[in-house]
Amino acid sequence: MKVQVNHDKCEGHGKCQMAAPEVFELRDDDLSYVRVDDVSEEFAPRVERAIRLCPRQAISWVQGS
Amino acid sequence: MTTIPQSLTLEEIDLNDDGLFERGLGPEMFKILRREDPVSWTPATEELVGHWNFVRYEDVLTVSRHPEVFGSEKGIVQFYPAKEEMLTAAEAGNGKMLITMDPPRHVKLRRLVNKGFTPRAVAAMEPHIREITNTLLDTIAKKGGSDFVIDVASQIPLAVICGMMGLEQKDWPLMFQLTNKVLGSGDPEYQTDLPEDQRGTQEAANLTGNMGTMQMFGFFAQTLQDRRVNRRDDLISLLCESALDGEALSDEDILWFCFLLILAGNETTRNAMSGGLLAFFDNPSERERLREHPEYIDSAVEEVVRYVSPVMHMARVALSDYVVGGQAITKGERVVMWYPSVNRDESVFPDGEVFNITRSPNEHLAFGIGEHFCLGAGFARLELKILFEEMFRRFPDIQMDGPVERLRSSFIGGIKHLPVKFTPEA
Repeated sequence: MKVQVNHDKCEGHGKCQMAAPEVFELRDDDLSYVRVDDVSEEFAPRVERAIRLCPRQAISWVQGS
Repeated sequence: MTTIPQSLTLEEIDLNDDGLFERGLGPEMFKILRREDPVSWTPATEELVGHWNFVRYEDVLTVSRHPEVFGSEKGIVQFYPAKEEMLTAAEAGNGKMLITMDPPRHVKLRRLVNKGFTPRAVAAMEPHIREITNTLLDTIAKKGGSDFVIDVASQIPLAVICGMMGLEQKDWPLMFQLTNKVLGSGDPEYQTDLPEDQRGTQEAANLTGNMGTMQMFGFFAQTLQDRRVNRRDDLISLLCESALDGEALSDEDILWFCFLLILAGNETTRNAMSGGLLAFFDNPSERERLREHPEYIDSAVEEVVRYVSPVMHMARVALSDYVVGGQAITKGERVVMWYPSVNRDESVFPDGEVFNITRSPNEHLAFGIGEHFCLGAGFARLELKILFEEMFRRFPDIQMDGPVERLRSSFIGGIKHLPVKFTPEA
């Protein structure tokens, strides 16, 4: 499954990186980036947590991925 | 204790009666509502439209996560006049400020300024805010006593936001006064444009809010005129140079932005500070734990924000039919999200009525969530952290020295006066 961060909404709170450091990375431009092409099943629950914790609701699964 | 325990019944609860909040009965009202009437309807009156009340965590999450269904452009406070001619001056800002604006314009406007509010930008301000805080504490240090709200809690956030907006220090007291008129319009203490025997009515509240709004606009119109000519390194100058969809912001856009920044920037954190200090007074063991473990400060701040929930509600209007918490909401109906309630919802926060500085997890909604998540949350957290660090360090025996006076409001969980005393610094 693929996950995406909407950079119009992201404000660099970094909750996603704390929830799933294997998947999200906060860079110097204060935006969060997805580090992996595909999220393995192992990390999916952490991504779910990141989606839930994001204060700006900037994270979502890519539909159909 | 600061609240007098009283027993309310469901029938006595009226979320439109701000006198009940002034008496400190908010937590008890919400506890009863969560248990007995979790989606309640406040009926319309001759003056006001009716509204649904959401008091459960899950329901407020649902409303917050659907800004395309629950819009902000008809105002964000529970009260909305039944007739258009009864609209107040502040309601003219509906649709024109970030807080009263829906997507897609909302996110575009927010992006013009949000780089100044990221965790990195906030962290860079730490030395400056620590200096502001200590300078203010200096002014009371030798006296051994103070009205904490007037001398400290109101002054720190005011200095920070006024500094960011480039306002001169001589104008800060005016900003404090006008903020009180706009956000505390229903409280007789701030209805100073009226003789004493005419205060305390709905008309007095409308007049006070209108006067405050107009005076605020008069002040910022002058400031804006100056910034158009004399550029500075401040938020107002930044807005002057900003464009949205290829169009420069109008004077009106910028004035509403200033109105929002100054109100949101100083009233909310003020009350988190006062309410937080009160929570420490009421819970000496938690204060002792923080003294022994200064490293708990971050979770203590988070708990202060949850426990106090200084913004008591946000309202929305349904733009289409939608079901929330089993209740069908019809297009056009007003809904109100009650934060002090959701942040003590038993299904999410075990012992939610208890002030626990190491609470974890602590996923409270005091800053909202989603589209309208509080832009200034990072500043609020940092200001709170520095205040409690410096104040407990310098005045370790600080204690209450008289009764607390709460604001008469169902929107702002405000504290107007909090007398304190401590051993003066040598």
